[in-house]
Amino acid sequence: MQNTKKQDQIKELVVARLQSIPSNASISIGMEGNFNRAQLIKHVEDEDEIGKKITQVELEYLKALKEGVLYAQTPCY
Amino acid sequence: MPKLLVTRPQYDLTTRYLFYWSTLYMQFAKQKGFQVLDLDGKRANRKELTSIIKKIKPQLICFNGHGNYDLITGQDGEILVKTKDNESLLVGAIINMLSCGSGKLLGPACLQKGALVFIGYQESFIFYYNNEETSNPLNDNRAKLFLEPANVTIRSLLKGHTAKEAYEKSQNLYSQNIQKLLASNSPEAYLARYLIWDMRHQVCLGNQNVSL
Repeated sequence: MQNTKKQDQIKELVVARLQSIPSNASISIGMEGNFNRAQLIKHVEDEDEIGKKITQVELEYLKALKEGVLYAQTPCY
Repeated sequence: MPKLLVTRPQYDLTTRYLFYWSTLYMQFAKQKGFQVLDLDGKRANRKELTSIIKKIKPQLICFNGHGNYDLITGQDGEILVKTKDNESLLVGAIINMLSCGSGKLLGPACLQKGALVFIGYQESFIFYYNNEETSNPLNDNRAKLFLEPANVTIRSLLKGHTAKEAYEKSQNLYSQNIQKLLASNSPEAYLARYLIWDMRHQVCLGNQNVSL
């Protein structure tokens, strides 16, 4: 029950973020296709593969902010 | 004369952007005295790729196109290189792949078969574009934020820098673009999260000290 609530909160957050995308902006996600704001929001709400990917992008962003990695040079290996 | 081979399919919006943005480093390569072998459009097929590589043996090979963890494609999605298939074709070359996911399996497989170094992405390469600029991709400042860092690896290699330096140049340019977006109250600040994604999933595998 708690997990579902958390997932819903994450979904809400991602959709809220997507609302700020300008109407003239579209995203290319390789072979998966190109999407505008409305299409991305639908994918996130549907929790399909594209929606999961966009959610993953948001979660990685939050993690990067928390880690402060934007201010450190990323090593390569 | 050193040689650069570029694959540039063009059959959908994404490949159209990669097609045009690669012209910049191709022009730069010519200025630097490189022979540029351009497999554009329908020429971005497996048969021509194989023939040119075997005959000319380019030192630097730059792929543009759709991909997955284990493959890179050319025109109309034709598979150009795939793991457990023909990855040994890239032996002895420096490889740059601007495509989704090929850094995860194809890159390491190419290195196992003798490629010197591989720069690419382990997950989807994502970029945003301006719907009003699709007929003129080089004018698209939104796409520029993504494609300039992606392609600066090649410019850096063409200047004679090592693979490690080329990779770091790209990572730094991603970082600069991210910081500019976050520091301003720009309506484009939402792009930062996607730049972070590309930056964090870019890899440089193999011999870091190799250069052209």
